[in-house]
Amino acid sequence: MRQPSVIARRVAAASVGLVLAAGAAACGPEDNDAKSSGGDSTPHKGGTLTVLNSSPQQDFDPARLYTSGGGNVPSLVFRTLTTRNRENGAAGAKVVPDLATDTGRPSKNATVWTYTLKKGLKYEDGTAITSADIKYGIERSFAPELSGGAPYLRDWLVGAADYQGPYKDKKGLSAIETPDSRTIVFHLNKSEGEFPYLATQTQTTPVPKAKDTGTKYEEHPVSSGPYKVVTNENDGERIVLARNTYWSASTDAERKAYPDKIDVRSGLDSSVINQRLSSSQGTDAAAVTTDTNLGPAELAKVTGDKELASRVGTGHFGYTNYIAFNPTVKPFDNVKVRQAISYAIDRSSVVNAAGGSALAEAATTFLPNQKSFGYEPYDLFPAGKTGNAAKAKELLAEAGYKNGLTITLTHSNAKDFETSPEIATAVQDALKKAGITVKLQGLEDNDYSDKIHNVKTEPGFFLAHWGADWPSGGPFLAPIFDGRQIVKDGSNFNTGLLNDKSVNAEIDAINKLTDLDAAAKRWGALDKKIGEQALTVPLFHPVYKRLYGKDIRNVVISDWTGVLDISQVAVK
Amino acid sequence: MSEALVATEAAGTGVEPVPGPSGARQFWRRLRTQRAALVAAAVVALLVLVALAAPLLTAIEGQDPTTYHPSLVDSARGGVPIGSFGGISGDHWLGVEPQTGRDLFARLVYGARVSLGVALAATTVQVLLGVVVGVAAALGNRWVDQLLSRITDIIVALPLMIMALALLAIVPGNFPRPVLVSLIIGFVAWGTIGKIARAATLTLKELDYVAAARLSGWGTWRIARRDLLPGLAAPVITYAALMVPANISIEAALSFLGVGVKPPTPSWGQMLSAANVWYQAAPQYLLLPAGALFVTVLALTVLGDGVRTALDPRAASRLRVGTGRKSENKAGKEGTA
Amino acid sequence: MSGFAGFALRRAVGAVLTLLALSVIVYVVFYATPGNVAQITCGPRCSPEQVHQVAQQLKLDDPLYLRYWHFLEGIVVGQDYSTGTSVAHCSAPCLGLSYQSDQQVMQIILTKLPVSLSLVFGAMVLWLLLGVGTGVLSAWRRGRFSERALTGVTLAGISTPVFVIGLVLMIVICGQLELLPFPEYVAFSDDPEQWAWGLLLPWVTLALGEAAYFARLTRASMLETLAEDHIRTFRAYGVSERSIIGRHALRGALAPIIALNANDFGSAVGGAVLIESLFGLPGIGQELVHAVNVVDLPVVVGMVLVIGFFVVLANAVADVLYAVADRRVVLT
Repeated sequence: MRQPSVIARRVAAASVGLVLAAGAAACGPEDNDAKSSGGDSTPHKGGTLTVLNSSPQQDFDPARLYTSGGGNVPSLVFRTLTTRNRENGAAGAKVVPDLATDTGRPSKNATVWTYTLKKGLKYEDGTAITSADIKYGIERSFAPELSGGAPYLRDWLVGAADYQGPYKDKKGLSAIETPDSRTIVFHLNKSEGEFPYLATQTQTTPVPKAKDTGTKYEEHPVSSGPYKVVTNENDGERIVLARNTYWSASTDAERKAYPDKIDVRSGLDSSVINQRLSSSQGTDAAAVTTDTNLGPAELAKVTGDKELASRVGTGHFGYTNYIAFNPTVKPFDNVKVRQAISYAIDRSSVVNAAGGSALAEAATTFLPNQKSFGYEPYDLFPAGKTGNAAKAKELLAEAGYKNGLTITLTHSNAKDFETSPEIATAVQDALKKAGITVKLQGLEDNDYSDKIHNVKTEPGFFLAHWGADWPSGGPFLAPIFDGRQIVKDGSNFNTGLLNDKSVNAEIDAINKLTDLDAAAKRWGALDKKIGEQALTVPLFHPVYKRLYGKDIRNVVISDWTGVLDISQVAVK
Repeated sequence: MSEALVATEAAGTGVEPVPGPSGARQFWRRLRTQRAALVAAAVVALLVLVALAAPLLTAIEGQDPTTYHPSLVDSARGGVPIGSFGGISGDHWLGVEPQTGRDLFARLVYGARVSLGVALAATTVQVLLGVVVGVAAALGNRWVDQLLSRITDIIVALPLMIMALALLAIVPGNFPRPVLVSLIIGFVAWGTIGKIARAATLTLKELDYVAAARLSGWGTWRIARRDLLPGLAAPVITYAALMVPANISIEAALSFLGVGVKPPTPSWGQMLSAANVWYQAAPQYLLLPAGALFVTVLALTVLGDGVRTALDPRAASRLRVGTGRKSENKAGKEGTA
Repeated sequence: MSGFAGFALRRAVGAVLTLLALSVIVYVVFYATPGNVAQITCGPRCSPEQVHQVAQQLKLDDPLYLRYWHFLEGIVVGQDYSTGTSVAHCSAPCLGLSYQSDQQVMQIILTKLPVSLSLVFGAMVLWLLLGVGTGVLSAWRRGRFSERALTGVTLAGISTPVFVIGLVLMIVICGQLELLPFPEYVAFSDDPEQWAWGLLLPWVTLALGEAAYFARLTRASMLETLAEDHIRTFRAYGVSERSIIGRHALRGALAPIIALNANDFGSAVGGAVLIESLFGLPGIGQELVHAVNVVDLPVVVGMVLVIGFFVVLANAVADVLYAVADRRVVLT
């Protein structure tokens, strides 16, 4: 009843839209000014926060979760050795202590890391959290029954490669020592200055051995955070969290925990989530989403409505969508062909297919455009906004393709995803002007994923993407460009099959640095150096825009996650 | 489908045979007397013509279905078309697609090819399989009947969407998608028509002239061809008229689940599945394929009714007896009296 | 009664055979679908060794026939499995464990089934009212505005995919007019009123997609009955048209309506995939699509069997009802 007709709204939208588009370019929540200027904006304790999500929290076991920085909902229940700084923008991309007193004390060459736990830490049942529980939590993440976590602990800890977890191997991992109940020491097989980042993942959550129920633990994981699980129905479809009275704000500087109760409802269609948040009726007024972005159609509607636009949080997560080349497949073995394609690409079509300039920023670097990654702007093969067809044709002629080039682009058939047919057809169009004919090979999603990650079946030219396990160049560049990470008989991510001695050496050298700012600078420089080989065509970095309900206060969006942090949100 | 339903479908649609060539002439004569059916036939013919002439029509418009027009959409607002009514102009008769700026008229007429083609092809496969299996079951001995009927039961019990998802994943990606989608819909969803064909054949088998043919020593094949198939036409065609739109909807649903016809090939189903979120921001994007589909279904249904009436003279007389306008008026009077 | 017992026995044997064949088909088809199950379960970044361990854990290295045999064995005698810390038992009929979530498939089905049944039951009432109503009107009052409008609505129902109808209804009714809350599943046992309000829109959407078939069937069989001799006799005796339509013609249409209804009910239990995912109803269909995407074979097979069971059951019920409605029919 609010609007008489859709068409009337669209006419009105034309004027407001421009103003908002300008504002949207800035980082962080758009309503900072609005909220601080009007009414009572100070957050208060109490109330129920509703979370409307599309994917159920099927894995609610800290061993099985694969998160960046401990996740959003999981981080309310699971405290970790370190955690992400809960602040807006770039400040939020820093590591800070959580259960530990600091972010870790490295040995001289950063192969041994020591942590001391804070005093007075307790589980939801009042028992004390010990360093042995953290060791046990990490060990159980090695069990095949509880697979799913990130690969770093297995790769980095001494003697962990073949470890099968505490259920099969009672001796445990010798690489982790717990000299006393508050101290835990990690022995790594190489220098890793970024270990504090890794310690933010949920695998460093303490798990009391006596309460471990194996694969059933996720039904009621023991809380170390401000909330405990009250209900976990239908394999994570509905999760209700209530206050954990043994949690104390004095030991936790990061989680604000304003609401008394958190009600997570999942399995909803994304258009329904956005419609409910925009209507903001009843309990939806105090609702947020932790996994659903505004789509282009919804954005078109929201930008026409001042009230709605004031309830949109904008954030950036370290993520790059790109086209990958396999240089062992003709004609991509010829660097001039790869360069020609890099020059030819019309990124405006691709950006539009990804939702337009408000939802995607054209990318010319592999690293995300954020400070913590050591982002150094470069554009080695300037294609301009709409592609440099002349330069591309010139290079193709040099490479022996005077009459144009016909190539096949492999992509996934899964809908609404960055490797979708929609992006692929946009790439097809984006290369047309340069005389490059692109044929599309769409594969069923599992098939696609199998093929592109297998060195034997990897296609020559395909859509790919990479996201940050933590906001640094390390987990962004090493899996993709470190020659020693090429996996011959399994899931391989170094799809360019790059094995360059100088690149490998530089990766090792940076990993030794424990000064993360200094490391970031060198990751940025390394990214540019690798970029010269034209093994990828960066397409775009996504921008996250998410609606939240009318009663939501204290919106914090860090560059680490790019989404509203529900540990900071208040509903009163 | 249960026996009970099948019996009624078969009976309710008239299983009397249409005899010989004079029957065909009679059929056309009867069809010609129904105005609604003629209009529907004209609409269907027009749709088919539009689909066939898609390249010509888009050439007249000066557009094609795949070229992007980034300058016609507002990138900052999610790619909503610039201009009123979705960017309708002399160049783009029905406006452009959000995000890509592709011409909607061109996509709609090319989409007609795929949607109608897939639906008709799938229906053909369903009818062929169903009639062959149904007739064979009815004419075969007890064991053949048991075997074929159980197979039909299994086909009916298979969840269509799930099997389609799995089968579309197995077949290599370079197999032409529209053909594949038609085949899969056809092969997974012929159970109902199979049961109808079996029931109708069983009824026909007992009719005097068929029995007479059997007694005079005609072979099974000859009987099936000469006496049974014409008799099956009425129930099968009637049911098939509803299967065509149902198949268009299935194609749309497969697109919605991401396994339909592949982009950049347009189909109505794919347009609908992409457009439904744009309902508020660019309504014409949704209304165009939805409207086209509605007109198609309406025309096919009316035409199907007309064909049935023409095939089954009893139906026509029934309509006069039971529910003609005269008796309706009479009923009204009686009610007030 | 022995006739009925014989019928029931034959039907039961037929049903078991049909379900067995279904399970074999699904096993073979999904065995052939691409996707490395162990890698999907373990995650994309798992090393070859880990993937191997997971494959062993899930017994994926066993040959297909052996896996199928274990599946049948589980149905008959149940199955023991390890949670890592202890041994748990999945009692017969055990449909195995989900590869992805380690939950018992039977348990998953039992939590999802009430949602799907609630959805289909409610929708059934609506499609019967709308479909049969339209059918009666179109047999009785051909050409009137009310008949044309209803026929138009039902035709629009089958010609517009449910995902379009559902979303538009939801945006208009829940979002803009705020007449109804957004659909949500509340268990009937928790709060019957909320259950009904939460499901109203999904019911309407599903019913709109089905009603046209009932309208056509009702109309066809009513016309059939109206042409029969005894109706002519009634007319000749001056029985009112309203009574002829209501008492006689509609009764004649009852049996096929029951049959089609049972048929649609059975297939809709698992077929309402799109409605369930659109409205976020945690039913069988939604779970099934997810399981197909991650090649979770035990869940797929278990759910297809449950759906097949409902289709077979519904058809048997239809035949019994048909026999009850029409004494001339002999159950075979």
